[in-house]
Amino acid sequence: MFVQLVINSIIAGAIYTLLALGFTIIYGTLNFFNMAHGVAYMVGAYLSYVFRIQLGLNLPLAFSLSAVATAFAMIGIDRIAYFHLRVKRAPSWALVVSSIGVAIFIESFVSAVFGSDTRSLRTEQAAPGYGLFGAIITPVQISMLVVSGVLMLFLTLFLKTTLLGKALRATSNDPDMSSVLGINTESIYRSTFALGSGLAAIAGSLVALETDVFPTMGHSALLKSIVASIMGGIGNIPGAVFGSFFLGFVENFGIWKLNSSWKDAIALILLMFFILLRPSPSGMESQK
Amino acid sequence: MNVVFHLLIMAGIYVILAISLNLILGYAGLFSVGHGAFYGIGAYTGAILATRLFFPFWGEIVLAACVAGFFGLVIGFPTLRLRGDYLALATFGFAVIIYSVFNNWYDLTRGPLGIRGIPKVEFLSIQFKSLWAYTVLVWIFVCITIFCIQRFTRSAFGKVLEAIREDDVAALAIGKNIARFKVLAFVIAAFFAGIAGVLYAHYVTFIDPSSFLVQESFLIFSMVIFGGMGSIGGSVVGAAILVILPEALRFLGLPSSIAANMRQMIYGALIVVIINWRPEGLIGKAKL
Repeated sequence: MFVQLVINSIIAGAIYTLLALGFTIIYGTLNFFNMAHGVAYMVGAYLSYVFRIQLGLNLPLAFSLSAVATAFAMIGIDRIAYFHLRVKRAPSWALVVSSIGVAIFIESFVSAVFGSDTRSLRTEQAAPGYGLFGAIITPVQISMLVVSGVLMLFLTLFLKTTLLGKALRATSNDPDMSSVLGINTESIYRSTFALGSGLAAIAGSLVALETDVFPTMGHSALLKSIVASIMGGIGNIPGAVFGSFFLGFVENFGIWKLNSSWKDAIALILLMFFILLRPSPSGMESQK
Repeated sequence: MNVVFHLLIMAGIYVILAISLNLILGYAGLFSVGHGAFYGIGAYTGAILATRLFFPFWGEIVLAACVAGFFGLVIGFPTLRLRGDYLALATFGFAVIIYSVFNNWYDLTRGPLGIRGIPKVEFLSIQFKSLWAYTVLVWIFVCITIFCIQRFTRSAFGKVLEAIREDDVAALAIGKNIARFKVLAFVIAAFFAGIAGVLYAHYVTFIDPSSFLVQESFLIFSMVIFGGMGSIGGSVVGAAILVILPEALRFLGLPSSIAANMRQMIYGALIVVIINWRPEGLIGKAKL
């Protein structure tokens, strides 16, 4: 049981990492809590469903197309819902409100198109899992771990070595200075959105391999991204990874004793605990 | 004709919710997105008191509103230090936790099965069985709410709240105990949301957790934004329009599943449009 819980926690942590990384870079660069982040996760899962089941493409292609399509969709959304507010230098809560509107709209749109019943990416009988110290891990779960591991590595390299990655970090550090230095900050904002949403879309697609796809699946994903990135210090990339795994462990060991429907509540109690006990509510922002 | 009374009752309930949220959001400038939680607490408390302890209506509504108000204290007090986005997250978290409790605390709330057979209201030996009588009762409470909140906002108390919204440090500097005022705003708003919950429970006679999802909070929130923050008239108009407008979709002859989603899509789109292009709402005065 213990080993199984550890494995489950690590898998959950890997998925949360993809979500939280996207959430945290969007916060770091655009400076607002993107309440539509869960929607990118949900749209990613649905697009993968369309490409994989309805159009019959192979899995890696379906996933990549879904991530790219989600990224472009979010760039479009950015132009409609956030661009004006950014130009006006509106306070961040206005952007949060706008993203709530976006989330409600897209969620009900998807629900109108696909209906509220669940879909699934599973095509054949689930492959039997491998035994590992008395626990079971399925091939799907292994592929989840591999894909998120590779993406984390890719993201780190991208931010550290490429020109775009450096420009992104510079913009998140000081947008005004960056634009003085000739960085097109608007295009950086769009890339950040695309990158963060693409990561969420891949997380959604991976989860869809194991569980059902339904219009409100983004809610708990949003919750997990918020909790994981706040625990790690919002805007902080290694922090988000740490927060995600921490959340994965707390949740999975929490439901050892409690009913599994308390999972979201556990995450939120952690969140409340962290935002209420942080030494200074503005501490994170002032570091930047 | 029954449809008209139904709409009037629902509009009345949402007017109470929107006005009370406006006290926190528009007047005190505290960014609370979890108002549906107080509404749910009021509804559940009322339902439990009426079905298990056979309370008379007047005692029940006062007690349920006080319980909701107590939770306003519970959430208002620890979140005093939080501002803007972080307060939004904490209240959002609170709404999800409360929903989990409704869903999981089986002994008290009967979980997803909900509470059935909530009696129709009998008050001052008048039976409010017919729809029109209940409509009158609901609107009496709407008038009471408008009267009370109007008195609050025009009193010194309301002026201090507005001062806190504009500049809390200045308010503190002239010797106002801003912590007390903020908590008081939460308690009063939660109290009235509790009343709305009881009215809802007695109207539908059956409540389950799905009536108090986070979307409910967002809906109340969008009513305030739409009508205009810091304007009671705005909240009345905003709530009434957002309850009645979607009913027009019925006459377009859409199937009910699509119509429900269309309604949500309209809410989402309205939030984005209002916050981007008319942040003061229909008749509000708040500026970005």
